Amino acid sequence: MTATEPTTGGAPQPEDEIFVEGADWETVVDAVKDDTLTVNMGPQHPSTHGVLRLVLELDGETVLGLKPVIGYLHTGIEKNTEVRTWVQGTTFVTRMDYLAPLHNELAFCLATEKLLGIEAPERAQAVRVIVTEFNRIASHLVWIATGGMELGSTTVMTAGFREREHILDLFESQSGLRMNHAYIRPGGLAQDVTEDFVERCEALLKMLPEKIGEYEDLLLDNPIWRDRLVGIGVLDAHQCYELGVTGPLLRAAGVPWDLRRAQPYCNFEQYDFEVATDASCDSFGRFLVRIEEMRQSMRIIRQAIDRLPGGPVMVQDKKIAWPSQQSLGADGIGNDPEYIRHIMGESMESLINHFKLVTQGFTVPAGQVYVPIESPRGELGYAVTSIGTNKPYRVHVREPSFVNLQAAEEMTRGHMVADVVAIVASLDPVMGGVDR
Amino acid sequence: MSGAPNHVEVPRPGHGLAGESLSLEDIERRVQERFPSVAAEIAHGELTLHATAEVLVDLLTFCRDDLACEMLADLSGVHWPAGEHVIERQSSTTGWPEYRMDREQGVVEVLYELRSLSRNHLFRVSVGTDDTDPQLPSVTGVYRTANFHEREVYDFFGVEFDGHPDLTRILMPDDWVGHPHRKDYPLGGVDIPYKNDKFIPPPDERELREVIE
Repeated sequence: MTATEPTTGGAPQPEDEIFVEGADWETVVDAVKDDTLTVNMGPQHPSTHGVLRLVLELDGETVLGLKPVIGYLHTGIEKNTEVRTWVQGTTFVTRMDYLAPLHNELAFCLATEKLLGIEAPERAQAVRVIVTEFNRIASHLVWIATGGMELGSTTVMTAGFREREHILDLFESQSGLRMNHAYIRPGGLAQDVTEDFVERCEALLKMLPEKIGEYEDLLLDNPIWRDRLVGIGVLDAHQCYELGVTGPLLRAAGVPWDLRRAQPYCNFEQYDFEVATDASCDSFGRFLVRIEEMRQSMRIIRQAIDRLPGGPVMVQDKKIAWPSQQSLGADGIGNDPEYIRHIMGESMESLINHFKLVTQGFTVPAGQVYVPIESPRGELGYAVTSIGTNKPYRVHVREPSFVNLQAAEEMTRGHMVADVVAIVASLDPVMGGVDR
Repeated sequence: MSGAPNHVEVPRPGHGLAGESLSLEDIERRVQERFPSVAAEIAHGELTLHATAEVLVDLLTFCRDDLACEMLADLSGVHWPAGEHVIERQSSTTGWPEYRMDREQGVVEVLYELRSLSRNHLFRVSVGTDDTDPQLPSVTGVYRTANFHEREVYDFFGVEFDGHPDLTRILMPDDWVGHPHRKDYPLGGVDIPYKNDKFIPPPDERELREVIE
């Protein structure tokens, strides 16, 4: 009996109908050999880092094609910044890539400062370096944590989030918020660092190397981890160029491209650090690159703390600098009582200046700039257009997650379904950034 | 590994993976030798080449092959609508400049950021297209990364890229009406359905508020 013949009844059946009745399985498999199966992975799937939907075309377990479907988390942040002042913009862009909020703030502020033709003071630049590098470590810790969980290692998951929480504690102590800080502002910082800032950084620098060593002990020679990552999701340098892929993926393809070195911002040219690379082009190489990047970030932070200059953390131009002297209270950042006394009781002009800057903001000369920085996921660029008003005319964000996601199809083709999970994890997309 | 360059230098300002950067003036001169119609502008230390849709694909191919721009770093759109526009709530008594624009023809400007990793330089190509029927040739044949970017510009500005393999909406829902990043897109124009509303129309049947002048 062949699979295409019905067992009962004499009526002829269309040729493409297949009846499976527990008969000879091989004939069934032969009959469907050319058929492919389309499977939806996500948008609600624990391994998709949020709400990513992958439409997989499968031949058995083998992936023939993959199409990312995105937009489930689109919140119109770019459009929102067009109807708000330049200072308010930071509170929006910080919510895009929520694992690297400080990088988003920094890039937006650097673009604004470039249009204004100003530069933040030395102390602000050094603190920006410290907090963004800590943010890079926190982001890579989440990558190890979630990536480990997706491949079945819950120990790494709890460990990664545990250490990240210590870094978020530092951010909370400085900005009042664990995430979405709006700490970096056009012209400098929202407020100066607290007195125990250096002490807190030192404590983290003491704790982190040991913990990162623990991850290496757990994973580096772990046969399951290696089996799941070595040779999986290969993307070489030329493919990276064509697909615009940057960040740890490009560096794991052997290209020492790092915007902190190639186009330094925030005085990065003064810091001594290595660009982590690996020639393997696969997911395991990306793991090694990220681990090494955390070490290099700590090197940078160490140097920044040692040379932390004094002085103001905001430009001295009273037409741009946020007027209020702010202080950190029990419930976050607020107006300093001393300052309130000054504008309410002593100086009418200060009150007017405060009122105008807070309600209308400063105006930015007309122009177009593109400012890229190195975020944990790659090149984060802000293409900002101003027409000379107190609001941006257009803010476009070149999100590394958005661009890198295009490489998913090329990396997964020919692999198994289970490898899709590992490959998407090695891409490290943050859907808040992809969908904006 | 195929494609992985061996023993390359770590790029620094003015020097890429394989050689010295081209100066912005150099790039301007070399492009204008080949494409006399392209105008150049340097502002904020960034070079912008203003090209037309006819030469776009040739220009980007030239930049990739002759100016060592391996990567299309970014592709974005800006809408400059026709007519006179004044933003309210910026009364002249406050001393802040008014937002006033007056143009004959509405334009959707598309910006291409080109980056060279081997020589470490970065510049921008700007192309305008009429906003009533915006059309541009697709550059996905030159840079594959343009695929998602062009879908995004189509989604937000309605620019149709000829030759794009799969030009569909990317961030907005498939059945969305209008292109939300255009300046003539009405803000707050879609009724927000709430629990006790009598009838909630599906998104493609919702009416947008009339276009504001």
